[in-house]
Amino acid sequence: MSRAGSGADDPGLARARTRLAWTRTTLSFAAIGGILLKRDLAAGFVILALSALVWGLGRLAGVPGRAGGRRCRLLVIALAVTGVSAVALAMALFGPQTSGLHP
Amino acid sequence: MGNVPRTPAGKETPTDASGPANPAAPGPPVPPAAGAAGVEPDARFTFANERTFLAWIRTALALVAAGLAVVQLLPPFHGIHWGRHAIGIPLILLGAVVAVFSYIEWDANQRALQRGDPPRQSRLPRLLAVIVGLVALAAAVLALISG
Repeated sequence: MSRAGSGADDPGLARARTRLAWTRTTLSFAAIGGILLKRDLAAGFVILALSALVWGLGRLAGVPGRAGGRRCRLLVIALAVTGVSAVALAMALFGPQTSGLHP
Repeated sequence: MGNVPRTPAGKETPTDASGPANPAAPGPPVPPAAGAAGVEPDARFTFANERTFLAWIRTALALVAAGLAVVQLLPPFHGIHWGRHAIGIPLILLGAVVAVFSYIEWDANQRALQRGDPPRQSRLPRLLAVIVGLVALAAAVLALISG
């Protein structure tokens, strides 16, 4: 988006703010992926790959298109977070029991 | 929004009737006319709805991360071996529920915008507040019991 933030084609900077929201969401995915890397390499890599997918979908935010495309993109994100929850639940239930962090 | 006219009650009032038909028009966003089913709403409403969805998604991710951190990083409660799971697993499950409901609410709000109806009241804040409150209460009880 070459003219992101210009008032004429982006009133209220809605498009720019939405892109920033996508960036924050990508960083959230990447942070969880990075944390999981320390516990489970495969799960961490999968979630890091998901963060790349979220980044790619976020690049499409603000691009004019059919409403169905937006619906599909957001459904993918919701399902991805549900998948991350399932991985986290499996790690919590079946992962190695740790003694936690001690000061 | 300093140039937006306001009612005496302080509410913003739309002044530009070209909102739905011309999303790029400056000025306050204008909801589509009631009954205009299938009409794409003002782009600013669509973006705002999308940002709300993304904010809930980040909340869901934070809940999952917090639940996993409790199970993996918190020292075990003295004498209560299931204590960490009792706190962490509800948070992880809540993260999944929030992700699913945030999509359902985004979809419902988008359809309401297309019809020209006001967005429906979200039930997620109440759900989140109740469950996080209960988990916090459980954590406090476990901390007291375990000494």
